[in-house]
Amino acid sequence: MQSMSDMDWGIMAPEWVIAIACALLIVVDLFLKNTASRRWIGFLSLLAVGMAGGWVITQFRHKSAMILDGAYILAPYTLIWKIILLTGAALVLLVSLGQEKKEYEPHEGEYYYLLLTAVLGGMIVVSTADLIGLYTGLELLSLSSYILVGIQKKKNRSNEAAWKYVVLGGVSSAFILYGMSFLYGLTGTTHVGEIQKQLSQVGSSYEAYVYLSFFLMMVGFGFKLASAPFHTWAPDVYQGAPTPITSFLAIVSKSVTFALVLIVYMAYAGPYGEFQEDMIILFMIMATLSMIIGNTVALRQTNVKRMMAYSSIAHAGYVLVAVATGNQILIPIVFFYLFVYLFMTIGVFAVIALVAEQEKSEDLKAFAGLYHRSPLLALSMSVFLLSLAGIPVTAGFFGKFYIIMGALELNHIWLIAVMIVTTIISYYYYFAVIRQMYFRRPASSDPVRVSWPMKVAIGISLIATMGIGIMPQFVLETLQSLLR
Amino acid sequence: MNITSYLALAAILFSIGLYGVITKRNAVMVLFSIELMLNAVNINLVAFAKYGIFPSISGQVFSLFSIAIAAAEAAVGIAILIALYRNKGTVEADKYNSMKG
Repeated sequence: MQSMSDMDWGIMAPEWVIAIACALLIVVDLFLKNTASRRWIGFLSLLAVGMAGGWVITQFRHKSAMILDGAYILAPYTLIWKIILLTGAALVLLVSLGQEKKEYEPHEGEYYYLLLTAVLGGMIVVSTADLIGLYTGLELLSLSSYILVGIQKKKNRSNEAAWKYVVLGGVSSAFILYGMSFLYGLTGTTHVGEIQKQLSQVGSSYEAYVYLSFFLMMVGFGFKLASAPFHTWAPDVYQGAPTPITSFLAIVSKSVTFALVLIVYMAYAGPYGEFQEDMIILFMIMATLSMIIGNTVALRQTNVKRMMAYSSIAHAGYVLVAVATGNQILIPIVFFYLFVYLFMTIGVFAVIALVAEQEKSEDLKAFAGLYHRSPLLALSMSVFLLSLAGIPVTAGFFGKFYIIMGALELNHIWLIAVMIVTTIISYYYYFAVIRQMYFRRPASSDPVRVSWPMKVAIGISLIATMGIGIMPQFVLETLQSLLR
Repeated sequence: MNITSYLALAAILFSIGLYGVITKRNAVMVLFSIELMLNAVNINLVAFAKYGIFPSISGQVFSLFSIAIAAAEAAVGIAILIALYRNKGTVEADKYNSMKG
């Protein structure tokens, strides 16, 4: 047992940066005049996220360590998770700053620092191996995102989305917590590593409780991941939330939940046999349902954000295929997919935000003739959509390809069949947007105004999506060598 | 006292809470029901900390964390509900249905 002052608190530096920036910005916002512009709070938040990200990159040279009795871990995988979260947050901040007319004008300050607390929660989740830490971090993320979804106080839809999110989020947290309580009760500890050891000893004599705890937690994770059959809240929340927040939910919240699933998976991964097979079957059912429901219901959506919600349900299904196989070898593939998904989703939502702002409509028809108005914007949107659809030789294609190859090695033929068929179905609705952009007449011929932070966000996403599409093997090998 | 009676109480409270969330039309009742679910878990944690297979203090610590978080969650939930009430003028949860698809 180390004393508090002996611990190497320096390894928590990225979290400290975000926490301190957040505290400072809250105080600054409080003392600022009501009429003063709060735009620069956004830039300071961006700076904090950038600093934290830079620090995380330098930590790759640090050898693995843990403090607080193993409750906080520094290891390559925690660093990669943090890079995903911080990149996502930085791009979301850029998109928010790029919106000309803010949808949440009087609350702009809180918007930015709530984004920071949300990311902080996510960073705590990915770098802890203690049930208490996992739950606290998850709730910090969730509570911040409930407020962010409902930040347009005067707008009915935003309120309604926040309400649905807070109720379903609360229920899912209760389920996760209930499952965790049984896990604690069986083992007498909240540390995942020790739970694993204890479970392999006592697990077989209390099998019913082991299953119960796992099922309860899976229900909670299902809600948080928006994977079918627990997805019903997602379309409403995605539609009602401000567009940058929708992308935040699709990227950061979802990645954090995947991290959580993988950490909890470790707790059950003792030498304690058949249970794992049942676990895998449960994941496979969720993955299959998500892919089928997400991709088919998306076909009849006319609201683009709603369509993207179903698309994100389907993508959760694809990643769950990799998780379902329960194989450590597939972890780099999960990371690869989440990286690719991050960039293409941010790109799509940035374009949606621009078009929706200009046209005052989130309808599919708002995209009519975009190519004739702003060819570059339409072109980048096409790249993102093609990548989301997984057309060969795009980043998204390689993500799916690696997942399929991984599942093939483990002989999950059915899963692969469902994945390929639903991917082909998904072409239809992604192409619906492309059809609108190129083959329909625009309502007006003036180009869409693109502010510079938007240009940066779309540019980074475009370069990353194309870059990963050109050299996927290099990215995957880098991830594999970092994790080794 | 046997631990199963505590676990049974927690399970019953959790189920009542879940039933309430699904069936209640009044939005305030929905928030109460969520609270009930979270508190059922606290009973579970404290019971395990005292009478579990491996009794230890961390269960009680965990329940303190979860009480604090549940309070924060209730505050956020109520705040959102008030904003919603101001716009819609009703707390009937099934009237909150402007989005479809």
